Amino acid sequence: MTSDTPAGRRFRVFNRRRSAPSRARRRVGAAVRMLAALALAGGVYTAFAPGAFAQDDKQLSTAAQEGQALFNNSCITCHGPQAQGVEGRGPSLVGVGSAAVEFQVGTGRMPMTRQEAQAEQKRPVFDETQTKQLGQYIQELGGGPQIPAGSLTQDIKQNPEALANGGELFRLNCAQCHGNVGAGGALSSGKFAPSLHDPSPQQIYGAMLTGPQNMPVFGDNELTPEQKTEIITYITQQIQDDKDPGGLFNLGGYGPATEGLAIFVVGITILVFASLWIAGKS
Amino acid sequence: MTVTHEGSHGHGGHGSGSGTKPVDVNDPKLSRFDIVREGARRDDIEIVTYESQFEGRNSKAEKRVVRNISLLFIISGLAALAFVVFFIVWPWKFELGHTLSDYYTPILGITLGISLFALGFAILAWAKKLLPHEVSIQDRHNQPSSDEDRLITGQTMAYLVDELGVQRRPLLKGAIALGMAPLGLAAAAPLIGGLIENPHKGDEPMMYHTGFDPVPQDGKLVHLTREDGSPVRPEDVSVGGQITVFPGIPGGASNKYADSPTLLVHLREQDAAEARAASETDKVNKGFMHGNYVAYSKICTHAGCPASLYEQQTNRLLCPCHQSQFLITDNARPIFGPASRRLPMLPLELDDEGYFVAASDYREAIGPDFWERP
Amino acid sequence: MKRRKLDLAQVPANIGKGADDRYQVATPLRALLNKVFPDHWSFLLGEIALFSFIVLLLSGVFLTLFFDPSMREVTYDGPYTALRGVEMSAAYESSLRLSFEVRGGLFMRQMHHWAALLFMASIVVHMARVFFTGAFRKPREANWTIGIILFLLGFFAGFTGYSLPDDGLSGTGLRIASAIMLSIPVVGTWLSAAVFGGEYPGELIIGRFYIAHVLLIPGGLLALISVHLGLVFKQKHTQWPGPMRTNDNVVGERMFPRYALKQGGFFMAVFGTVALLAGLFQINPIWLFGPYLASAVSSASQPDWYVMFMDGLVRLMPAWQIDFPIGDGYVLPPLFWPAVVGLGALFTLPMLYPTIEARRLKDTKSHHILQRPRDAPERTGVGAMAFTFFMIATISGANDVIADKFHISLNAMTWAGRIGLVILPPLAYVISVRICLGLQQHDREVLAHGVETGIIRRLPDGRFEEVHQPLGPVDEHGHPLPLDYAGWVVPKKMNRVGALGPAIKGFFFPIEKPAEAPVSPAVPPVSGSTREEIISGR
Repeated sequence: MTSDTPAGRRFRVFNRRRSAPSRARRRVGAAVRMLAALALAGGVYTAFAPGAFAQDDKQLSTAAQEGQALFNNSCITCHGPQAQGVEGRGPSLVGVGSAAVEFQVGTGRMPMTRQEAQAEQKRPVFDETQTKQLGQYIQELGGGPQIPAGSLTQDIKQNPEALANGGELFRLNCAQCHGNVGAGGALSSGKFAPSLHDPSPQQIYGAMLTGPQNMPVFGDNELTPEQKTEIITYITQQIQDDKDPGGLFNLGGYGPATEGLAIFVVGITILVFASLWIAGKS
Repeated sequence: MTVTHEGSHGHGGHGSGSGTKPVDVNDPKLSRFDIVREGARRDDIEIVTYESQFEGRNSKAEKRVVRNISLLFIISGLAALAFVVFFIVWPWKFELGHTLSDYYTPILGITLGISLFALGFAILAWAKKLLPHEVSIQDRHNQPSSDEDRLITGQTMAYLVDELGVQRRPLLKGAIALGMAPLGLAAAAPLIGGLIENPHKGDEPMMYHTGFDPVPQDGKLVHLTREDGSPVRPEDVSVGGQITVFPGIPGGASNKYADSPTLLVHLREQDAAEARAASETDKVNKGFMHGNYVAYSKICTHAGCPASLYEQQTNRLLCPCHQSQFLITDNARPIFGPASRRLPMLPLELDDEGYFVAASDYREAIGPDFWERP
Repeated sequence: MKRRKLDLAQVPANIGKGADDRYQVATPLRALLNKVFPDHWSFLLGEIALFSFIVLLLSGVFLTLFFDPSMREVTYDGPYTALRGVEMSAAYESSLRLSFEVRGGLFMRQMHHWAALLFMASIVVHMARVFFTGAFRKPREANWTIGIILFLLGFFAGFTGYSLPDDGLSGTGLRIASAIMLSIPVVGTWLSAAVFGGEYPGELIIGRFYIAHVLLIPGGLLALISVHLGLVFKQKHTQWPGPMRTNDNVVGERMFPRYALKQGGFFMAVFGTVALLAGLFQINPIWLFGPYLASAVSSASQPDWYVMFMDGLVRLMPAWQIDFPIGDGYVLPPLFWPAVVGLGALFTLPMLYPTIEARRLKDTKSHHILQRPRDAPERTGVGAMAFTFFMIATISGANDVIADKFHISLNAMTWAGRIGLVILPPLAYVISVRICLGLQQHDREVLAHGVETGIIRRLPDGRFEEVHQPLGPVDEHGHPLPLDYAGWVVPKKMNRVGALGPAIKGFFFPIEKPAEAPVSPAVPPVSGSTREEIISGR
């Protein structure tokens, strides 16, 4: 499923050595998992379906029911029936709230294609409505943090300090992993903090609120909703939208590493060709 | 001005300019080139080949080259002019968003770059295409000076020593040593003496004390505060969350207390139990945790960067400078990378109003390791 | 009063006469004008360093007009919205001001930084050329040593320079510098306290770095560059072997008119490259890094490329701490080995190399003719070994960026670097020595048997053999007389000896052009389709 995204392609190219020897095993594993999932889904259905349906109908809203249907199709394998979690496969989703669902599903990280160091961002499987429905289901199942409705950025015309405040908070709380330029960064053993150039305000808010993967949680006590919107304002206005001055290209924002590469690939190369021409026999 | 002097040229040896005969430079019949060549001869240069790259004067090829070079000069001038015009008229003040001013620097760079490149290549093309092709041979003169000369110079130097007579006058020798050595010290003293600072001076030697030390605060325990100075309560940190805290003293979050930034982490129940078990068995860190909260120095013990990349699932702290990894649930022991010492733990307590305070200063030295750390 | 007529043609002569009356310059000046320089592209690499140093001086002077080297706390109130109201040092504030509020200031800052990177890059490339061709041998050992000191000075000039803006990234670098000083046994804390004027970071360091960066280090650079060039001038440039070229002469072009003109043009090209880089590529966007705070850091915090090898060595160093259980106990932190010992060794070992090689080969002669890398396989191997070591260290200095962008585990990158640093340099030595010997062997074969023509001929007894074109005279059996190797390129293709059509210059490789049939006025040229194929050498 990831194969069409650039990230997926890159992943395959650079992880060939790691994944190639276990291809057969992986296939077998996938088949076993598939069978297990089918058995589980079937079993769950026969065991719970009649009663559960009658019970849930009373509690769940229409959107949540739609969400439940989607959940039972795509998520139940790892997160288990009633989202209780499956040992060694996926955590319980009770209490994670719709914020977590909207972040994980909205960015395509869930459903995962396989167990790996960290869920990769890819093209979302579900559209926006379906994501909302899934979120609604999880929310009604066990409560938890929710992404507030309405605008999640601040109008810097009315509140000009928001950008500077957001910048300060960003450098203190976010930059250590995502980088000052928002280009992302490596964590231990194959994990990483993703680039901040793509996510929407909702997704950033959801990530801060729920702490997906290895990201620490920034609840409303650590960063007030206002501070969160200031950070989002900084990310969207300064990092995503602003054409930074000082050149046509910013070399990816990776700092001195790419600058050093550029001085050899561009500077030294141009000048070596120039000297070849100067000293060449005419 | 075309000369071709082909001919086998043997070993350089002496006077490689000897291929041409000396001429009388006052001879009015000589051309300017003849005089130049005589000059070269006197500098032991033999101009072996010096020939125009074109057939005759004003040939078609030559005219084409001249045209191209002129074109380059004109391009250079135009680009330089464009540089000046853009420098003056293009909007250059920074504005937020995608505006014309973002292209100020690229336009300056491109116009100046084109201008300089065109000028450079005009000059280069001139030298390469228009000037006569040349092969000259110069003698290197790498023969050492004659033995006589060496002898004279050596004797002259020895003569100096003789005349001073230091060898003969042992008193002088001692007096020079005794008299001059202190002067050397006197020259070095202001620099060294001015720069030197005792790192261990005072009651609060800087290597062992941070802003959390209650002693300078008249024994009052220091609050853990956010960067804006507001104190922190336990419920301000969510499970699986962390905040950076500073000593709650004036300027506590500034670089004046560069060794004080601390990471306050709220661990999950299970991880906290593990971390507590580890800290309780430790000599120093015993009783430093408060409930499921633990506070470690943010300053890496390796090179002093803030080791603040907190992975909440694996409970690791990663330093972005040299990738040292510390395990939070085991007294922040280094588990990977170049760091050899754990992050010091800050003893936590609550004050009467339920705010976090540091029960004492750190008990281990903060930041990069050094020789005399006990 | 009689008005004297000004004879324009006489003006230069009169000026010259006047100058010589006073300073007696005519003879030395003529010697200066009449100086022969050999011509090879690789001799121009050092010039890049010289010219980018001039660009550095020019742009640096501009920057000093606006920079305020002070760590006084101020509040930013400039046009850059995202930092308005933020507390910062005057140094950072003035760096922002010269980027945003000085017309062309950002362009000049970027030129200065790119020129610095180019300066260091060209020094390294130039040193590689000098090393691999043996140009450091007697009598030029002193100039080689000066070159290494120049790299070291450039290293410190760069470090002090990018520390000056006091932004988040450079502050992190300063912190590491203080940690390196602390790691030195016995004097570490004293050294750090002396440099920073007390506890890190203090309020003096920017001012101290500033005077080092604008006066002390450039002064040293300028002095040593003068000596470096003076020695090149005095000892005259080395040259490649070739026709007419001996150890006692220089074959090339006189300084005037051609050589000096080429130098001027090349200066403009270097300047233009720096300007283009500064215009096209953003470098060190300090406004995104924020003011330096001891509590804040960015992922991918790296030094500039010429410091990166040291950072890489520090990253790869295992956590080997040495404890001395005497008294209260003393420690030697692992940081000491790569940062202090490693840096020291990386500068002293190359300085010693000329002596080591001369002693090993018992070589006391003066050398003015360069050697092809293949003709000194061991030296080439040592160079390849050092280069591999430097490359792995430098790549490891950016291993987090590589791990992130190519989806490799960071820990795996570190281990790969550790293992690679031990295994690959010796491997590089062995491989390059083998390659050198192979190339030597082929040169000798061609000299002994001639150029491979690509024409296969069948002998009467059925054997096949390739026809070789002898390069020199042949004996009575038609076998080539073996030729001596002259230390220079041996022609290995038929078109190089003029037997086939000339090679057309392509961009990277010569494009082979099929030989044209000779055009005779009597016989019209044969068209391509009917041309007879060459089937045999005979």
